[in-house]
Order: sequence, then structure tokens, then C-alpha cells
Amino acid sequence: MTFHSLIKKLLNKPDSSRNVAKKRLQFALVYDKLEVRDDMLEDLQQDLVEVITRYFEIDRDALSLDIQRMEGSSALILNTPILAAKHRKEGGARAHA
Amino acid sequence: MDGKVIVVTSGKGGVGKTTVTASVGAALAKQGKRVAVLDMDIGLRNLDVVMGLENRIVFDVVDVIQGRCKLRQAALKDRRIENLYLIPASQSDEKSVIKPQNMTWLCNKLRREYDFALLDCPAGIEQGFKNAIEAADEAIVVCTPEVSSVRDADRVIGLLYARSITPRLIVNRIVPKLVEKGDMLSHADVVDVLSIDLLGLVEMDDAVVVSSNTGNPLVQQKDSRAGMAFNRVAMRLDGHPDLPVEDPMAGRSFWQKVGKKLGRKDRTAKR
Repeated sequence: MTFHSLIKKLLNKPDSSRNVAKKRLQFALVYDKLEVRDDMLEDLQQDLVEVITRYFEIDRDALSLDIQRMEGSSALILNTPILAAKHRKEGGARAHA
Repeated sequence: MDGKVIVVTSGKGGVGKTTVTASVGAALAKQGKRVAVLDMDIGLRNLDVVMGLENRIVFDVVDVIQGRCKLRQAALKDRRIENLYLIPASQSDEKSVIKPQNMTWLCNKLRREYDFALLDCPAGIEQGFKNAIEAADEAIVVCTPEVSSVRDADRVIGLLYARSITPRLIVNRIVPKLVEKGDMLSHADVVDVLSIDLLGLVEMDDAVVVSSNTGNPLVQQKDSRAGMAFNRVAMRLDGHPDLPVEDPMAGRSFWQKVGKKLGRKDRTAKR
């Protein structure tokens, strides 16, 4: 906490509406830029499944891909049950990848 | 002639695109340039009434594009300001009658005929917007110091960058008293959020309402702060790119001397 904001808290002075506006705007713009179209998410899911299945046997239907928004940032969250690891030949997967 | 086509856009409606187009166009013409202002809001024409030329319309921009008349026939000459021409929008057509390739053709014609062509873009980011930015050389983004307007401006700026156009910003309707009180975003806040070059700062001014009531050009009203701000925008577009942007917040007491004080350091806005 900066000295300035500490003083403000002690005085219990509300933020000016100008500063509120600026902060809201900054957050809104960040969110706007993180917005992802549904079809893009579907394409990504397909690509990811393709890569993961090279290494693991997974339950495709149970896989979920989601974007979680937190204050000021976003996270891409992939959740999938693993049925089994694939045992691959030495170097084979690398060449494939 | 090898003129410039500049699109005036904002995303959000009602922030002053038409006022900016009419005023900057008139100011450029006063500086001796040959200027055309075009209303690209097909179906909802406005620029003609703001400029007081609504009674003289014969042909419109759709007539030009569909070959029913020549560009010069559609260009209404302003009788008060030399070298200023209005090409009105059609009131009966829809935005979809104009295709992007029509705009490329039209803008090429405009560049040959005029020093500056200002396109008044419709609100929104649909077909009308896409048409207006299709073949433009430069872009002016207009916003007011409000959250909704700045957010829309950000979206439009992104779309312009995607078309390799680097826009410049006019912040319109600044109320210095409110900024001082901490109840309005300052132009510095807006520039900070949008990170874009500033082209002008325009104060809220009653003269704008009077001007649109009467159809008389704002830039000819001597004591209008907004009018003076638009004159300076025109200078920045034409020959004086480094003319400092005046800060409406600085030295508010000696506004009367504003004409003489052009370029004073302490009155210069943060860029």
C-alpha cells in the first residue's frame, strides 16, 4: 500500500468518480481483449486433444476447456481424466511432434 | 492533385463525429485547401443539416457511385466558405448498396479532385463503418471523456490498426470544471488508457449547439473555444504537424489571449 492510499484509507475518503471511471475502463479493456470466440475455443480443444492423445489415452468426452477470468487476468483451464499413459518407442514421439 | 482521404470515426454514436467533420473541413478550407466532406451514413444523413446545406441537395454519394451523376455534380459548394464542398448521403438507400470496391474507386477520384476529403463515418462497426475505412489514408477517432465512449474508441482503434491505419485522437466535450473536481476523465487519462497520438482537445461549448441550430460554421464564430480548437486541428493536419495541443485545463483565466498564445509551453498538453 502506498503512502497516498494509506492516507486516503485513514481519512476514509472515497475515490473520485474520475479515478473510478479510469479503473473501470482499464479493467473493461483488458476483459474485452481477452474475449474469445466460441469456435476458436472449439478449434483449440480439437488441436489439444490431438496432441495429448499422442502421449495419453484420455476420455475425450470428459475433457473440458474453459477460460476463467480473474481480476485483471485470465487463465485457460484444461481438465481431462487420464486413462493410461502411452508407452512410446524411444525418439518416436519426438519425430512425430 | 494528390489529396488525402481521412475518415472520422468513433464506434459510439453521438460523440461529435459530424461536428468534427464539418468543423475541421471548414477550417481546412479556410486555410486555402480544396476540401470535400462526405456523409457516409447512408440512410440517416446528418452532415447536410449541420452544415446548413440541406435545401440544395440534388445528387448524393450513392448517385456518384452508381454512375447517375459526376462527382462534381454531387458536390455542393458552400457559399460562405470558399473551396468547401459537401457530398451528402442518400436518405433512401441502405448501407449495403455501397461495396468496398466502390469506396476504392470513389477515394481515388476524391484524391484527384481535392486536397482533403473527410468521411463522416456512421456509428457502429458494421458495413457502413467498413465501407468508410476501406480506402482511407488516415483516421481521426473521436471520443468523449466517458467510459462507454472510450471503450468503443478502443475497439475502433483496434480495427483500424488491423487495416494498417494509425489513427489519431480528438477528445471532445471536455468540461474543465468537472475534471478539476475529479468528476470527469481528463484527456491525459483517456490518452493513457488508449495509448494513441492526440490530434486535438475540444471543450464542451454552447456555440456547437448554436452552430448546429443555425447551420452556420462553428469555426467562423470568433469566440468559440471549440471552434478555435478545430482550427488548430486543421493546422495540425495541414502543414503544422507539431503545433502543440492546448490543454483546456491549463491557464484557464487567460483564454482571451488564446490566439496570441499559440505554442506557449505551459499550455501544452501531455502527448
